[in-house]
Amino acid sequence: MAHDDRVFKALADPTRRFLLDRLFARDGRTLTELESDLEMTRFGVMKHLRVLEDAGLVVARRSGREKLHFLNPVPIRLIHDRWIDKYTERQVSALANLKNELEDTA
Amino acid sequence: MTTTTALATQVYQVFIRSTPEAIWEAITKPEFTEKYFHGSRIEITPAGRRSFGPDGEVRGDSPVLEFDPPRKLVHGWQSLYDPELAEEEPSRVTWEIEPQDGGFCKLTVTHDQLEGAPKTAESVLDEGWMMVISGLKTVLETGEPLAG
Repeated sequence: MAHDDRVFKALADPTRRFLLDRLFARDGRTLTELESDLEMTRFGVMKHLRVLEDAGLVVARRSGREKLHFLNPVPIRLIHDRWIDKYTERQVSALANLKNELEDTA
Repeated sequence: MTTTTALATQVYQVFIRSTPEAIWEAITKPEFTEKYFHGSRIEITPAGRRSFGPDGEVRGDSPVLEFDPPRKLVHGWQSLYDPELAEEEPSRVTWEIEPQDGGFCKLTVTHDQLEGAPKTAESVLDEGWMMVISGLKTVLETGEPLAG
C-alpha cells in the first residue's frame, strides 16, 4: 500500500483520531495510559496503535522498561501540502479573479 | 504533567525515496543542508557539528556523540542563532536511517534531553523540524529545494 493510502486509512477511524488527539495533548505515552482513556480492550488499542505505526503517524520508542508512543506530525504535513494547500489555494485565487473581474467591469 | 515535560522528547519520521548514502550526505554536507535547513551550512564530522548562517555567523557548534555512516548520527544541539535560546542547556538530536522495501528509507529524527531547554523545545517543535524534514525529503526526491 502506498504511504498516502496508509495515512488516509489510519485517519479514517474515530478511535485512531482520538488516540492522535491524546498524543497531541501530551506526547510520549504508554499503552496503559492510552488504554485508560478508551472503553476498549488492551488488544483492541494495540491493534489501532499498530495501524497508526504502519502509517508512520505514531512512533514507538523504548525508554528503560517502558514503550512510549510519540505522535509523528510529518505525514499529516505532507498530506496537507499535497492535498489541502493545492485546492484551497485555487479557490482563493478563483475568488480573487472574480473580484478583479467584477471590479473591472463596474 | 507540565508542557515542559511534554516537549522534552520530540520524534519525527519520514519515508524518503533515496539511498542511505545519499540521505547521509544530505544531512552532513553543507552544500546540501543550505537547501533545506533554514539556509544553514552545516558540516558534521566525527569531530563535531558546526552550523553557519548565510553571512558566516555561527548558528551551532556541538559535539558529535555517534557517527556511524550511513545509519546513525547523534549530536548535541544548542541554538546559538538566538541569544535567549543559546543560554539554555544543550539537548540531543539522533538521526536514524533504515532502508525499506521499494527503494525507500525510513528517516527518524529524535530531539530529546530538552528538559533544560524549554524555549528551544518550543521553538523547534513541529514547524521547525517539520520544515527541515519535509525540505530534506523534497531535496532528495526532486533535487530542488521547497518553493518559498
